[in-house]
Amino acid sequence: MSRPHRSEPSSRGLIGQIIDHRWDYLYVLPALGVMMLVIAYPIYYTFYLSFFRTPPSLAMSEKIFNGFDNYATVLGSDSFQQVTWNTIVWTVWSTFFALILGLGAALVLNREFMGRGLLRGLLLIPFVISAVAASYIWRWIYHSDFGVLGAVLFDLGLIDGKLNLLDNIDMVLPSLIVVNVWKEFPFAMIMILAGLQTVPDQLLNAARVDGAGAFHRFWHVTLPHLKGVLIITVLLLFVQNLNHFIIPWIMTGGGPAGASDIWITQIYQIAFGRIRFGIASAYSVILFLVMVVIGYFYVKALTGDEDRQAH
Amino acid sequence: MDKRRITRWHVFGWIFLVFLLIYAVTPLLWMLITSFKSQFAALQYPPDLYPKNPTTEQYVRLLSPQNDVGRQFLRYLLNSIMVSTVTTILGVAVAVPAAYAFSRFRFPGRKALFFSVLFRNMFPAVVFLMPLFIMMRWMGLVNTYSSLVITYLTFGLPLSIWLLKGFYDNIPVQLEQAARIDGCTRFQAFYLIVMPLSAPGIIATAIYSFITAWNEYVYALTFLNDDQKLTLPVGLQRFFTEYATNWPGLMAASFIMSVPVVAMFLILQKYFVRALTEGAVKA
Repeated sequence: MSRPHRSEPSSRGLIGQIIDHRWDYLYVLPALGVMMLVIAYPIYYTFYLSFFRTPPSLAMSEKIFNGFDNYATVLGSDSFQQVTWNTIVWTVWSTFFALILGLGAALVLNREFMGRGLLRGLLLIPFVISAVAASYIWRWIYHSDFGVLGAVLFDLGLIDGKLNLLDNIDMVLPSLIVVNVWKEFPFAMIMILAGLQTVPDQLLNAARVDGAGAFHRFWHVTLPHLKGVLIITVLLLFVQNLNHFIIPWIMTGGGPAGASDIWITQIYQIAFGRIRFGIASAYSVILFLVMVVIGYFYVKALTGDEDRQAH
Repeated sequence: MDKRRITRWHVFGWIFLVFLLIYAVTPLLWMLITSFKSQFAALQYPPDLYPKNPTTEQYVRLLSPQNDVGRQFLRYLLNSIMVSTVTTILGVAVAVPAAYAFSRFRFPGRKALFFSVLFRNMFPAVVFLMPLFIMMRWMGLVNTYSSLVITYLTFGLPLSIWLLKGFYDNIPVQLEQAARIDGCTRFQAFYLIVMPLSAPGIIATAIYSFITAWNEYVYALTFLNDDQKLTLPVGLQRFFTEYATNWPGLMAASFIMSVPVVAMFLILQKYFVRALTEGAVKA
């Protein structure tokens, strides 16, 4: 019969082992069942649909097989290059700034002082509130006629005239990145804070006794211990940003003139704006393939973690 | 060791923290300040940095069932509460046994299963959106709360299982073994020993599911189009298109929408932070 924590390898074959453990599967069955229905099937269906021309009525019995036409349409479209470039800019800079701010905040909050818990709580609020609410709050702050940011910058003499961010082709993407970083740097902060707990005090003290300055202690003691957490945090942020939909969608809808359009908003627009499920599916598959490459590193980073805690 | 000595790194750290605090908190303050202005007062240039004649008219309007706006808003609020609560309860019920199995049992395929669980995090929501939309249409679930509950439940599961597994890993297996020796069945050992010990983990996971469901937008936007069924995030957008210049109203609605999740989060911050970081830092 099955026992918890068997460590010796079973002498029976795979089938035998599966039979041995048949009751264990019962525990994961509900989770697996739901996930097969809602995750596995849709992935398969997206691949399948990407080879068809779908009717606007979405009556799927009338779809027509068209091979790789949808892929050609996506890759050959005028906007593809710009949207891809926007996606890269959006994802890389959002990840970079969220990580830097999160790391800085974690390092400062890692020492004991009065009101630390309160500060951490305040810094975490942007992370918990709804991205839709956040988008409207920032839209109001950025408002070109009545926005508080424009008024403050004007008073400081940094701009003359109205502040135009969301209708400005050059400024729109950086402005959205500011909102996105605002929303997700707290996540990096708590991940890194937790990672800092694992840095042994003795090691830092030893380095201090040996005369290492604050920067050297950080570079040679703290940072190597943080490596694992940093890798996972970067990957999680990266994936999250690549998939982020709400902020560009609510704040600009991809405009002006596609200047803040990224893959995900583009796909949504093609699918539910123009009702072209086939093309949107092909687009999704391309995005999916990019994800698989990133996912490979993600799983590798996580398994590395799992091996280190091996029993 | 002179921990109290002030170095220039400390000074730099404090300056950084002050800037970060301004960045993080001012937008929230501005939301709150705006929500207490009248519609007329909000559309002034330059804007008043505090409401000269603070008014709660927006809150009263949103929360009283006497008028159309209030009725609509309360409806959205109720929908959100309902969808989030059902999702949370079902999610925990499914995640607990799965996480326990992943933590304790060594069945073949355990590792592959676990990573397939995690793998879901890699997929963009839109990959699922179209097939799920077709599927929901086919099952007649478009415009129902069930469509959202099923979707949120599934998409919450991988992380819920991951969080809970971290908690179960920390509970010594000897406790269960002792209970088994004393005559408990495996299920009893799980129910009587492990469940109570993992209560903080379950609470944290439940909070996480609730907040995720509460804030979810894309699926709600796509699956629901009946005005009576909308959840708050989509409802907020509907409000914006209808009353485009009523920024104080929009800010008040945003504030009301944020209160439950922020309150829950701050009260249970300790568990939540622990749960969220548990898996990532174990080395």
